[in-house]
Amino acid sequence: MKAFIAMVHREFLEHRGAFLIGPLILVAVLFGATILAFTVGRVDARFSGAMFTVVPLRVFEVGFIAFGIGWSLYLIATLFFYCADGFAADKRNNAMLFWKSMPMSDFKVLMSKLAAALTILPGVIFGVALLSGVLLFGVAFVTMMINGTVTMGFLGGITQIYGQVALALLVLMVCGLLWYMPFMAIVGAIATVVGRWAIPIALLLPALISTLEWVTFGGYHPFMTRTWTFLEYRSALPDTPYAESWFTSETPFSGIAFATDLINRLDWVQVGIGAVFAVVVIYIASEYRRRVNDN
Amino acid sequence: MTEHSISSAPATAEPIVSARGLRKKFGRKEILHGLDFDIPAGRIYGLIGHNGAGKTTTLNAMLGLTNCEGTIRVLGEDPFAKRAKLMENVAFISDVASLPRFLRVRELFALLTNIHPNFSPEKARSFLEGTDIKPEMKVKHLSKGMMAQLHLAVVMAIDAKLLVLDEPTLGLDITYRKRFYRRLLEDYMTEERTLLITTHQVDEIEFMLSDIMFIRDGDLILHMQMETVNDKFTQLVVSDEAAMATARQYKPVYEETRFGQTVMIFDGVDKAVLEPLGKLSTPTLSDLFVALMQRPTANPETAR
Repeated sequence: MKAFIAMVHREFLEHRGAFLIGPLILVAVLFGATILAFTVGRVDARFSGAMFTVVPLRVFEVGFIAFGIGWSLYLIATLFFYCADGFAADKRNNAMLFWKSMPMSDFKVLMSKLAAALTILPGVIFGVALLSGVLLFGVAFVTMMINGTVTMGFLGGITQIYGQVALALLVLMVCGLLWYMPFMAIVGAIATVVGRWAIPIALLLPALISTLEWVTFGGYHPFMTRTWTFLEYRSALPDTPYAESWFTSETPFSGIAFATDLINRLDWVQVGIGAVFAVVVIYIASEYRRRVNDN
Repeated sequence: MTEHSISSAPATAEPIVSARGLRKKFGRKEILHGLDFDIPAGRIYGLIGHNGAGKTTTLNAMLGLTNCEGTIRVLGEDPFAKRAKLMENVAFISDVASLPRFLRVRELFALLTNIHPNFSPEKARSFLEGTDIKPEMKVKHLSKGMMAQLHLAVVMAIDAKLLVLDEPTLGLDITYRKRFYRRLLEDYMTEERTLLITTHQVDEIEFMLSDIMFIRDGDLILHMQMETVNDKFTQLVVSDEAAMATARQYKPVYEETRFGQTVMIFDGVDKAVLEPLGKLSTPTLSDLFVALMQRPTANPETAR
């Protein structure tokens, strides 16, 4: 287990640019730009502070949720490129020979990559999302202090909002990772075989399979097949009525209500099937990697 | 196999490596044609051959990197089936530039400490003392020579029974090459360890070898202890025409002219018979290599 954890950590070391340094730079740039905007008078601190007093809690909630959605989109993109590139990264500079000299099977190596994609890498992004939330709240709070509308009770209120939104983000991220695990595994497996060509192939593969079904079994067009319907279902997280109803209401955001709603609506049978599928796909890819000298 | 395919290596009860009928095909082309050999413990083997002769394929078979027909056992295990387990006791360098470039030296050691049960970071650090390699340096910023030093430090810090080096000094200058092999001999080799090296710079490793294997076009044409090589092969330098004609009667395996003198290499000819004909010596490994490895189709000056 120690070796496996070390291999997961190695993935972080190899990809810290995309998952830690890049996001931190982005946060620093956004934060710097915000400070600069206030400093040079592009944004009036008194006006901003006053605005926060109109719908104070909602601004904090929506602001942090928007950040969370932004970081979730960033995570989806980086995880896709990580799977399409990271699973083949050992081929670079002949490093495969070094890793093959280690007492670690190809299956464990690939599983460590998948485990990294499910744990440490999104975990780091989650940490950055929390940091950006702190900075957002910090800026908003300072502007309210300048405006003179802030109270200690208000500070307690936004702390609670921060906790609720952070919980919702965490559950969303965990459910999303479990839901999309088979997609990550299949992109990683393709990358193990064809390297970065996995990017176009992974994008084209669903259309190809669906077209094949349409050609074989008939139908109106290639995007109206059982395959396509299933992929559409499998590529989106379930709707959460709580999130929709909260947005139009005036009640405070409840992370617990959102998390319960999402967990209840997730198709856990599909999550289980997806996990088994992911392990099988990774095993097949590892057998290819084991024989890569023969291929 | 040719007449030179003599195996005089001692057969021990449990060789470190044992191959029987080892064959490998890529597509329709057969690369290895049924190799049979044993490598006992505590020896330093040189596996020598032309480019494309099958050296790396043979090593890959030993390291479980490729699947072959026939039987191969390393430390009693099938390397292709049990590569991960085997690597606890086998270390290898197939390319000194293969170290993961994104890591710092200290990160590499920390990682290996957790991954490899027989890796000692203290040993690795001690092997780097006196070099310009610092723990905070990134591998990608090291020169090729420094990378070779680092890779050697890594494998020497692994308490392995078998160390395999495939062209470990390729692209390094003479200073680094000498230092590399000296370090290996002084700091690593013990009676329990076995070392297998392939290189084209055969003269540089000749002093350290206990056994040699010559591989040509997928066949093992010589497998012998170095002491036996010295006894079996004789080099004669002759300048006199009459002596040359007499010497040719003993069927030299190789003959060439250098600076107006003729150099002949004999296999299994009594030294006392050759002594009156010219100056006798033991052929260097590179001379023997050239003598035994000539391919008639590639070189019109065939071995006689």
